[in-house]
Amino acid sequence: MDGSFQKSGLGSLVDDRVDEGVFRVDRSVYTDQGIFEAEIERIFEKGWVYLCHESQVPEANCYFATDVGRHPVVVVRQKDDSLAAFINVCSHRGALLTPKKQGKAATLTCRFHGWSYSCDGRCVRIKNEKEGFGEDGFDRSQYDLNPIAKLANYRGFVFGSLVEEVEPIEKYLGAAATWIDLMVEQSPEGLEVVPGNSTYVIRGNWKMQLENSVDGYHVSTVHRVFASTVRNREERESLQGLKQTEGGRLVGIVPSGAYDLGNGHMSIWAQHTTPERRPIFKKKEWLEENLPAAHVEWILEKGRNLALFPNVMLMDNPSTQIRYVKPISADRAEVTVYCIAPVGEDAEARAARLRKFEDFYLTAGMATSDDMAALEDTMAGSWASHAQWNDFNRGISTMTHGPDEGAKAVGFDPVSSSESWENETLFFGFYRRWRDMMSASD
Amino acid sequence: MDIDNDLKREVAELINWETTLLDRREWDDWIELFAEDAVYWVPSWADEEQTVSDPETQLNLMYFRNRGGIEDRVFRIESRDSYASLPLDRTVHIVSNILVSGVEGDEVSATANCLVHSFGKHGGQTRASLYDFKFRNTGSGLKILLKKITLIDDKLEGPVDIYHL
Repeated sequence: MDGSFQKSGLGSLVDDRVDEGVFRVDRSVYTDQGIFEAEIERIFEKGWVYLCHESQVPEANCYFATDVGRHPVVVVRQKDDSLAAFINVCSHRGALLTPKKQGKAATLTCRFHGWSYSCDGRCVRIKNEKEGFGEDGFDRSQYDLNPIAKLANYRGFVFGSLVEEVEPIEKYLGAAATWIDLMVEQSPEGLEVVPGNSTYVIRGNWKMQLENSVDGYHVSTVHRVFASTVRNREERESLQGLKQTEGGRLVGIVPSGAYDLGNGHMSIWAQHTTPERRPIFKKKEWLEENLPAAHVEWILEKGRNLALFPNVMLMDNPSTQIRYVKPISADRAEVTVYCIAPVGEDAEARAARLRKFEDFYLTAGMATSDDMAALEDTMAGSWASHAQWNDFNRGISTMTHGPDEGAKAVGFDPVSSSESWENETLFFGFYRRWRDMMSASD
Repeated sequence: MDIDNDLKREVAELINWETTLLDRREWDDWIELFAEDAVYWVPSWADEEQTVSDPETQLNLMYFRNRGGIEDRVFRIESRDSYASLPLDRTVHIVSNILVSGVEGDEVSATANCLVHSFGKHGGQTRASLYDFKFRNTGSGLKILLKKITLIDDKLEGPVDIYHL
């Protein structure tokens, strides 16, 4: 809260001396409200952020409301099927335009004074306009909604930026694009967000949620109990096939890896010892007929978590998830989770995907709840300014600069590759991106 | 419908007993109140006004197709290896508005409201739920066939486990 970063400079918060075997981050990045406010301005309001999945605005006039930093934003499907995004605020007096998070409306009509906007953002009606603004020469278009500067749809995942000066979406995603491809190409009919979702509050910093999602090192401690619980269940109920859980990654040493994908994006994978327990396994033959062998191997046999800088995580592990994080304050964030699944998936696979999601991924589930408890303890400890440094050194001496064989096989080019998902070298990229955006001059 | 007063009393007693066992952490006795084929369902909210309606094809906060689901939860709590369950939150359930809504063959339906106050390392919080129960009249007493909990709170803080519901 003391704004000390402004005195000492942001560069000093990321102790980036990889050549000397050191990568540390000052824990005030989690606690300092001044830093938090700078993050909102310099990261969330000055770069690409994730907005929604296109299936959440399935047809013309459908809208989805979200936030970009402090800006309420609404994504609206247009009559020509394209997408547009506007500041979700009435031009008149600033009331939010959408009554709900998600819906369909022929016009966006402000419920305060009744001004209306078409789905392309034009101000089409001002209540009692003539009486208030006169008959002649009044230009209603001055009140059209403000579109956000950039909007991009990468294979169904919709991103936006409040400023023009951002790299093209393909360049922003970089190596991470392949990780999105590995999700999307599983389904010829595309992906859809399944009805139902959950929002939970983490009493921790938003960056901790990103870190947790691609931290393989905690799995065999925090999720040991998940593994023992499902093992006990499978013995008790003699479960077979899709009703079993892919437990190998939770307990033992399986092949795994971690990537610094560049631009702050990070990913981890771990080998599934029992891929036949995954919902997608039912489509093995289709995958083998339609995709290169290396892609099929990555899809079927490698459970994958992807964290896209700064605000979304895409999981394809026991189930498939979009995890969206909204920063609230230095020590608080809201997380909303959605199950995303192949369109037209058969009923058994869909049910298995959902049950696996509920088992693991929710604050009411048996793993995410434990993650949250650990994360919140990490937040509690981060206030201790006399224990200043968060240590990310694991794997620093063994990482590979550039791609490893697995990355080459599917053609993505990470900044670095690590041969274990327990290694922490992927966080270098996250905090370098963070430092660079936080330090950029206006 | 004219519902037998003894049955009404028995239903109220069972619902009060069920939540009391949760607050007193008598897990094994609590599980025994459920039939082996009992469904335990906590729907998620599809939007601001409606929960999901089909637990098979939509996302729930919890959906157990048989009693094994709550047995898993108790196994996890008792393991003392769950980060979120050590220390265990303290809870008090206040149940009210118990109404027997129907009797069909050996099945009895009832609704109730519940406030759960819990206290943990981040302090106290109170959440509210609508309960929908189904019971099987076994001749030697009622067994729970369905406990559906519509948790009206969203933006959930902290873990949500069986003892919070």
